[in-house]
Amino acid sequence: MREAVQDLRLDSRLRMVDTPRAAAVLLVAGDLDPIDLDALARVHDSIPHPRATVLWQSSAAMSWQSEPSSVVVTAIDPVPQIRAAFRDLLGDRRPSESAVGGGSGLVEWRDVGPYGQGGMGMTGGTPYGRPMAGLGTDRDGLRLDVLPVRLGPFFPRLPVGLSLDISLAGDVLTEVHVEIPALPSPIGPRSIFARALSRPVPIADLESARARDHLRWTSDALLAQGMPALALVALRAAREVQPGDGARVRALAARVRRSGVFRWSLPRQPRLDGATIQGMGLGPVSRAAGLVEDVRLEDDGYLALGFQVQTIDAPGVGGWWQMRLDEAARSLDLAARAGGQMTTLLGRVEGPRGRIEAGDTPTQRALTLLPDVLDGLEWGDAMAVLVGLDLDLAEAPGSASRCTVAA
Amino acid sequence: MSLVASILIASVAVAGVMVAGAYLVAVMDRWTARLVAGGGVDAGRAMAAPARDAAFLLTRHRTSTERPDARAWALAPALLAGLAALALTLVPIAPDTVIADPATGFVVFSAAIAFVMIAVFLHGWAPDSTLPLIGAYRFGAQALSFQIPFLLAVLATTLPAGSLSIVRIAEAQEPLWNVVRQPLGLPIYLVVGLAVSYWGPLDLPDGRDLAGGTSAEDAGIARLLWSGARAAMLVAIAAMGATVFLGGWYGPVLPGPVWVALKTLLLLAVIVLAGNLFARVRIGSFVIVCWTLLIPLSLLNIFVSGAILL
Repeated sequence: MREAVQDLRLDSRLRMVDTPRAAAVLLVAGDLDPIDLDALARVHDSIPHPRATVLWQSSAAMSWQSEPSSVVVTAIDPVPQIRAAFRDLLGDRRPSESAVGGGSGLVEWRDVGPYGQGGMGMTGGTPYGRPMAGLGTDRDGLRLDVLPVRLGPFFPRLPVGLSLDISLAGDVLTEVHVEIPALPSPIGPRSIFARALSRPVPIADLESARARDHLRWTSDALLAQGMPALALVALRAAREVQPGDGARVRALAARVRRSGVFRWSLPRQPRLDGATIQGMGLGPVSRAAGLVEDVRLEDDGYLALGFQVQTIDAPGVGGWWQMRLDEAARSLDLAARAGGQMTTLLGRVEGPRGRIEAGDTPTQRALTLLPDVLDGLEWGDAMAVLVGLDLDLAEAPGSASRCTVAA
Repeated sequence: MSLVASILIASVAVAGVMVAGAYLVAVMDRWTARLVAGGGVDAGRAMAAPARDAAFLLTRHRTSTERPDARAWALAPALLAGLAALALTLVPIAPDTVIADPATGFVVFSAAIAFVMIAVFLHGWAPDSTLPLIGAYRFGAQALSFQIPFLLAVLATTLPAGSLSIVRIAEAQEPLWNVVRQPLGLPIYLVVGLAVSYWGPLDLPDGRDLAGGTSAEDAGIARLLWSGARAAMLVAIAAMGATVFLGGWYGPVLPGPVWVALKTLLLLAVIVLAGNLFARVRIGSFVIVCWTLLIPLSLLNIFVSGAILL
């Protein structure tokens, strides 16, 4: 479903926006963790009137009381019904949806306190459950107010479902708590990487899927760095590349380099060096730190093709970008010469984000690193790190309840 | 002609240039984005798209946040548009055709650019929301860094003219345009001009990493007005750049106003294309480049220009 939503960006009949204030139609794709439905309701209620909701292969409507009811789409292509709902809104043939209670979690503050400000005092305390800015620790000779903020679970630069509780001093993250959501399946059941855990699969297919995954990440990352046009080039490549198309990916990588992203856009300081993440099997992130960690080295099928791991010594966001672009091209080259060669290793597989085993995925391991790796970063750098890690919550293991990680 | 009629005509002319210019910026942006993305360009569709977007935004109801500063929120786009209008009134399109030619035109223009920071900060502050507020503070750091090199780059153009009047600066380029006389000036002006209008790689206050930043809470007509004011400021920057670096109305065959329009379009095209080709700059990197590279370069530009005149 994540890929299907991503592909909608290529459809010129609609435009996807970063904030609900700029939207007219809310598209809810797939099922959601029930705990996120209140946050989804707040997104819904933030959309200006007239508004409509389209539920695409989703049962999220079960908990909503909107009038009129949302448009339910089961078709593969939701665009015709999104456009129809939009046209009906503009033509007054469909009334705007009422609020669904997105503000019900907020605590009333007006007229409370001696000045109607909602609590006692100007800073400190948590009047009526809502934290206020307070003085933070002295990090660089300047004590700033610290503002607690929750980011997610629908922030456009984070994977859906991921929530961060952060403390901001200016635009610097001073404290980070990560809420790891519970999800029902270890990895997407239709993923070839999931299948490779239990049975041999063609290496050509596996490597093509890896290249496409890296290109989809590249598209998201380019969008986050303010290059929507180039992001479409990467997304189109992700849909179209075939084994042997390594040159096409290298041409894209050259365009990415010419955009200046490595020179002036990504944070320079090293993050997640080899000593910190040794043994964690974080795929391109590990290999960018010079670690020779790749499950494919244990697979006789790959060894028969002469597969070798390539690493670089660039343990930072720029290195992660470079590694993924290089690996996408090399995967397509490898797929072209793989012929009918099958994988032989079962029980573990090298996914696009690293080592996958039953109940143990790279995203799960990477999430535990977030509090330390984000601490002290400026907002833009923190977003670059989050995007650079390529978190995919569909890879995270299912569990009975959410857990949190903090530093 | 009475004073009232003159003011009315001037107001209509400036408003017309701002609206037409903002529309053109939107068209060029879509066009270049499609070219970069590798899609074909349907000229008719590209021309109509901004009108459709504007009509869509006009159908949207206004929204608010829990505790906004409503007056500041409404004032911000008006202030930004007013500053763009002020800058445009100083741009001559022919030797005797300019709305305002104060002897201190450079100072007036500098003041308008300085107040852009106030407009953007107000826009981020007013919604009382996290992401717009971060955008506002970011622009504070950005503006404090770009003001000096921007103004020094323009200040150098007053030396050959021996005057702070924008018309005199344009007239002084009859034998040689400033882009040749001061080769560092225009590149510095364009780089910092991107920052003033927070466009493309220097769209830091409204960046995608902030989900729209200072604009994240704007809906409907408020969104339309803010984006229009921003595009108008871009037009003002390009028009002033065409005047003080590219010889203003000077050029062969065609009438002066046509040359001003063409040169303004050229600079707009460069800026808009840069917005679609280059990645967003880190705020830390931009601040460092401004203070350690652009200010020394713009000072060098002034010293060399002064030495040549001596």
